[in-house]
Amino acid sequence: MKRSVDRILTTHVGSLPRPEDLVELYRDNAPDEKLLPRLRSAVSDVARRQRNAGIDVVNDGEFGKAMRRSVDFGAWWSYVYDRLAGFEVREETAKKGRAAWTFGSKERREFAEFYAAEASAGQSAGQGGTSTARLYGLTCVAPVTYTGQAAIRRDIENLAAAARANGIDEPFMTAVSPATLQILPNEHYKSSEDYTWALAEAIAVEYKAIVDAGFILQIDDPALVDIYDWWYSINDDLAGYRKWAAFQVEAVNHALRGIPEDRVRFHICWGSWHGPHNGDVPLKDVVDLLLKVKAQGYSVEAGNVRHEHEWKVWKDTKLPDGKVLIPGVVSHATNVLEHPELVADRIIRFAQVVGRENVIASTDCGLGGRVHPQIAWSKLAALSEGARLASRQLWQ
Amino acid sequence: MRSSRDRILTTHAGSLSRPADLIAISRARAAGESKDDAAYARCLADAVGDVVRRQGELGIDIVDDGEFGKPMASNYDYGAWWNYAFARMAGFSAAESLPEAAHKKSSVAELALTSFANRRDWQKFGEFYQDPESSGSLAGSAARRRTRRPVCTSAITYTGHAALAADIANLKAAMATAGIEEGFMCSVGPGSFARGEDLHYKTEEEFVFASSEAMRDEYKAIVDAGLVLQIDDPSLPDNWDMINPEPPLAEFKKFERVRIEALNHALRGLPEDRIRYHICWGSWHGPHTTDIPLQDIVDLVLAVNAGAYSVEAGNVRHEHEWRVWQDVKLPDGKVLIPGVVSHATNIVEHPQVVADRIVRYAQVVGRENVIAGTDCGLGGRIHPQIAWAKLAALAEGARLATRELW
Repeated sequence: MKRSVDRILTTHVGSLPRPEDLVELYRDNAPDEKLLPRLRSAVSDVARRQRNAGIDVVNDGEFGKAMRRSVDFGAWWSYVYDRLAGFEVREETAKKGRAAWTFGSKERREFAEFYAAEASAGQSAGQGGTSTARLYGLTCVAPVTYTGQAAIRRDIENLAAAARANGIDEPFMTAVSPATLQILPNEHYKSSEDYTWALAEAIAVEYKAIVDAGFILQIDDPALVDIYDWWYSINDDLAGYRKWAAFQVEAVNHALRGIPEDRVRFHICWGSWHGPHNGDVPLKDVVDLLLKVKAQGYSVEAGNVRHEHEWKVWKDTKLPDGKVLIPGVVSHATNVLEHPELVADRIIRFAQVVGRENVIASTDCGLGGRVHPQIAWSKLAALSEGARLASRQLWQ
Repeated sequence: MRSSRDRILTTHAGSLSRPADLIAISRARAAGESKDDAAYARCLADAVGDVVRRQGELGIDIVDDGEFGKPMASNYDYGAWWNYAFARMAGFSAAESLPEAAHKKSSVAELALTSFANRRDWQKFGEFYQDPESSGSLAGSAARRRTRRPVCTSAITYTGHAALAADIANLKAAMATAGIEEGFMCSVGPGSFARGEDLHYKTEEEFVFASSEAMRDEYKAIVDAGLVLQIDDPSLPDNWDMINPEPPLAEFKKFERVRIEALNHALRGLPEDRIRYHICWGSWHGPHTTDIPLQDIVDLVLAVNAGAYSVEAGNVRHEHEWRVWQDVKLPDGKVLIPGVVSHATNIVEHPQVVADRIVRYAQVVGRENVIAGTDCGLGGRIHPQIAWAKLAALAEGARLATRELW
């Protein structure tokens, strides 16, 4: 994995704005002969555009993960249900919508009026993104198996071609975590543990394919921290949550067995919807579990007002030798564009605590589908400008 | 004016979320469907009573009436803070009542303020601002509504004495009931008010000064009532983005200096320590890339004869500007009111983030010279539940900062 040897490198969390015509092709379920050539050219374009924006570690913008609307908060995990067997929609559960997943959330009770409002000033709550709504009611009813071999091969080939064409080495590709998959209810497995192991086994196929292709594997695991709010916060049950989370870390490590740590980065964020997030579990309460994940890089949301102060966590918790921290220093949580000097300030705070060579500057979460494309690209530009400012200070 | 003598005090920029019944009655009045002044007055007084009590309960030290006397006819409204003044001034005609040809008399000033859609940030991010799905073009936001401002067609005089007296009486009664010692009341600055069209005055300078002379009645009445006067003047920084193409900085400052002089003229004889001056870069949810840096205008801010300066500092475009105060000394006896929570995100600030921001300011200008505030008014700009949660986070953050600083 690349490191910030002589300057602060930049990357981002994965999702980038899809071109309109690509959104339309997915929306219309276009046949492969139409979708595939456009997907390939769009991936090439987005790789080049990242490089031109000054992003060092690039990806395919997650374009292979179908987004059927320009505003869409859920493509990062909904994609996988086109690649897994064992799930079916249960109408009764579907009727509950998102509430079926967030039954234990104190925040959703406290802010019920806000969440009920279709759009709140400034930022829609983003609950209705089609690709998440597509999952409402989806339930595990049979053994889970990975069936997405062709799709992941297609994504890998597209990114490899884009990297070759643009002289990019070591791109990354995202894949969802077992913990996230566990959000969907299970009727098949006897225990939630059995369910988790099966999910880990299934998704490991995708992990291996990505690493075998020579890419950096990024595992997206917002659930690891989100589930406190969604399931446990109503009873302030931190101990119960930690027990659950510790088991999820075992499961993801099981899925990663045989994969060298330095090919893996692990992303957590507290969910990307534009809500109050005051039920987010503090990083300090889960950082020890995070560091047990067999990854070299840890991508952690830190560029919004709920988590900006958590750089201090790394004063008390040592980042183990050889690991890389990938903090979010620009965020989808506001339309306001981060001032490059603020970005630099944030990077420097992290560098001073964990060492400049152990920091790669990044975003809080994927920008695609969550802020307007013009703002998303400007945020990436602000990110690389801020990294340049920080490098100048840190290597002077 | 109270100051943070033994702990960090809290306040906010003025606008708070109106209750549903007040919005309903304001909407009916705006549409001409309700003329029951007594019912409105009762509803307003009750609402002010509630909002003052609620601020006190949340731990806000220096409270206001939530700007409830400045009518808001919908849940989301970014313009009530200055639109209210048209109803309190004589000399304006409804834009619709004038023939098109009478509009847009060219300004004497060489720098001209452009329309929203010709702002520089708007033009850079045109796709964003015009995308119906983007949160930049919110329903109900000033950016989207095509209401045309009244046009100045005769001499401006202040006629809002009754409305103002009611606002003052409501706030003072509510403070007495809630046992709150200091309150403030917002009033628009001449530079921010006199941005509309003028067909009457010979020069823009005359127009601005006439507005300031008229508004002086309001300023004086607020101070005379024993309340702290807050002058709302986003136009100082915000006009920068409204001048297209970007002007030379020196020209811009000349343009703004006239407005500061007009404001100081209106404030003549009023005690500085009863006045605070609020600036922000406009509250709409856009990228704000063309915001003028604070360091370029801080001398103008400090030229206002006020005892305290309320400055946006709690969003990602301006958060780093606490450093400005390392180079520019806050004059002795003045108070800084930085925004440490913001309407610019739905996420509720973590109290520790709030505390960290306060502490940074306190370390530069001295803890006793900082009062923790908001970037801008929260009412009409963010969902009410989030607005209140942000005030709670502000108070909690100030407590954490106090613990560190004392």
